[in-house]
Amino acid sequence: MEHERNNSAREAILGSIRQHLAASAPYDAVHAEGVHEVEPRAAGLDVKPAPSNGTSASLVEMFSENLRAVGGHPVVARNEAEVIAALTRIISDLQKTRLRARRIALSDSPALKGLMRQLNVEVEEIATSPGAAELFDYDLGVSTVQAAIAETGTLVLESEQERHRLVSLVPPVHIAIVDAADICLTLGEALAAMGRGSALSPTVTLVTGPSRTADIELTLAIGVHGPQELHVIVNEGPEIRDQRSEVRGQRSNR
Amino acid sequence: MSHLTTETFDANARAALGDVQLRGALRNATSLFGTRRLAAANGLQNWQELRTEARAIKDLVLLNLDRYLAEFVSNAESCGAQVHWARDAEEANQIVCRLANEHNALKIVKSKSMVTEEIHLNVELERHGLEVIETDLGEYIIQLAGEAPSHIIVPAIHKTKRQIAELFTEKLGIEPTDDVDRLTSVARGVLRQRFAAADIGISGVNFGVAETGTILILENEGNVRLTTSLPKVHIAVMGIEKILPRFADLDVFLKLLPRSGTGQQLTTYQSIITGTKRKQSDEGPEELHIVLLDNGRSRMLAHPVTRQSLACIRCGACLNACPVYQQIGGHAYGSVYPGPIGAVITPQLIGLGKAAQLPYASSLCGACREVCPVKIDIPELLLHLRAEITEGQKAEGSRQKAVGREPGLEVAREGRDQDEAVARSGIKKHKMEGVAFKLFALMMGSPGLYEWNGKAGRLFQRLVMRDGRIGKVGATFSRLAPPLGAWTRARDMRPIAQRSFRELWRDGLAEDRQRDQPH
Repeated sequence: MEHERNNSAREAILGSIRQHLAASAPYDAVHAEGVHEVEPRAAGLDVKPAPSNGTSASLVEMFSENLRAVGGHPVVARNEAEVIAALTRIISDLQKTRLRARRIALSDSPALKGLMRQLNVEVEEIATSPGAAELFDYDLGVSTVQAAIAETGTLVLESEQERHRLVSLVPPVHIAIVDAADICLTLGEALAAMGRGSALSPTVTLVTGPSRTADIELTLAIGVHGPQELHVIVNEGPEIRDQRSEVRGQRSNR
Repeated sequence: MSHLTTETFDANARAALGDVQLRGALRNATSLFGTRRLAAANGLQNWQELRTEARAIKDLVLLNLDRYLAEFVSNAESCGAQVHWARDAEEANQIVCRLANEHNALKIVKSKSMVTEEIHLNVELERHGLEVIETDLGEYIIQLAGEAPSHIIVPAIHKTKRQIAELFTEKLGIEPTDDVDRLTSVARGVLRQRFAAADIGISGVNFGVAETGTILILENEGNVRLTTSLPKVHIAVMGIEKILPRFADLDVFLKLLPRSGTGQQLTTYQSIITGTKRKQSDEGPEELHIVLLDNGRSRMLAHPVTRQSLACIRCGACLNACPVYQQIGGHAYGSVYPGPIGAVITPQLIGLGKAAQLPYASSLCGACREVCPVKIDIPELLLHLRAEITEGQKAEGSRQKAVGREPGLEVAREGRDQDEAVARSGIKKHKMEGVAFKLFALMMGSPGLYEWNGKAGRLFQRLVMRDGRIGKVGATFSRLAPPLGAWTRARDMRPIAQRSFRELWRDGLAEDRQRDQPH
């Protein structure tokens, strides 16, 4: 019965669309609205000029600057040792605050376990990919991300590549690790890289800074439903994503 | 507070004008967002080109909406989404209630969505015994207060933090505070429990991509992510006009929408959802239901002018730019869609007869058109709707049924009982209007008559002036006799100057000018 209702509603709506478009045809011919100088293009526009040089160093710089502008905390690490040092410092700093950072939830990225084992700071618990109900009790979520966008300071999280949808969202602090090589310049490039059809993850999340609201008297409050702190470690050393691909298989062609 | 209706716009507006606190809040919000929007737009080299391109994309979609909708549905379904078509609000509400029933759901969390406000989904869900919690902070506040949103982007803009603190003290039992961070964290705590317990998450949709069957939702708080990640079932309600042809088109609209709405380069989160998860062990809901709602939208396709309304991406920029909205706020419009875009969308959705005052809630200054990221010519739309209203009254007056009327208008009217309803509405056009304009033309054609009329006016206006204004707004009664009183019903009128330009000219300006001229 519901199937029939749905079919007849679909036919009615599509029919109404066609009928009203047909009624509009005589006016479309004379109305200026139909005339546009610009034809829609297949790809997005280049909004900003390319940076002075196309190296990843300038992309890292631009990404860090834009992330800072929206209240995120970027750290650049030149090798794995520096990534571990950055993780240690962020966590021990957090432990001095009410954010605690003693119970830590990791995504299923295999690189993370190894990194966290070498932490030089004491924690109560490190769990890989806890269930949704348990996650509410964790102080900190750590994940890698699949890409970043320099011109906006944005992280790209693809659900098919890593189990980080909740770890990056539920705990009050999120630490993300991104390989410098995965930073692209524009939003348009990032969208193009997300792929098509089966390559497009069921959920792609773009994250630009910590959770925010200005719903009460337009006063900015950070950390309303999502994390109130976002730390991003940009890894300029050997790529962490290579370790990931062993488990998750080939990534989309970035 | 009782909800205001579209039919009493003039009275609503007058009441809002007397609300000092509201007007202060509106001034702050509209000027802040206006400034930020301008800065964000200027940060792009090609803002104007982007607007043109966005509109071209929207026009392409709307002129082929049946095709793109079918493509969207087929791709969404092949990724595991279930699509439900709803002709009107009632059918959409029934679909959502049936889904809730089928899943034995009791608790529902919702993220901010204009379209679910439009169909009054919460009322219907609650009638079915379901608990519905709005999770956007602003929406949560007004839900607690039992009020309606007053701004597209900042729904609780009409409330002070003191009022919100009192509300939280009363409803949530917290200690009184006016610390915004504290209020926010209280809401966070309460709502986390709701997220954890919810059976179903309901969201709106900002864009649907035909090419991939993707839906995209923008936000800053993280409540959309929680709503669409934690419960087992996600129901997304979207208007049929939200479609974009290609995934790459998102680039254009993701540049325009956040910048126009809040002046951000990007909102904090974009959830880009394509079907359901592929493995049972993955995170996220097991089912994704997309409810496609018409509810009067397809009617707007019947004319190129009204069709523009469907290009709207709900950024709220026209509200902030509008001198009328800046003074009266969102509630006065009596509809979920306020401001200039509301003044054109609402009458088309609910019928001109029920919202005949709204197309007149504008000075036609064109500020809305200037800021619109998809170049909707709102003043043109307002005039088009005003013309329809006048047509409807003419038809009512002569009791003639739509003979030889423009076919586009005729189709657009279908099933709305326009003529009768318009005639019953607050805007009454008299035969006097025609006579008045004939007299005006006569006067403007004769210098002597013009001058005499000015003199008479100056004598006459002394009788009706108060505080240097005619028909002062807020006065207990208008001192202008009907039909002239109608002119000052909703606005002050400046008096005619004590001395006309002609008199000034005769008395000296001409001599001054001669003196100044080199000999």
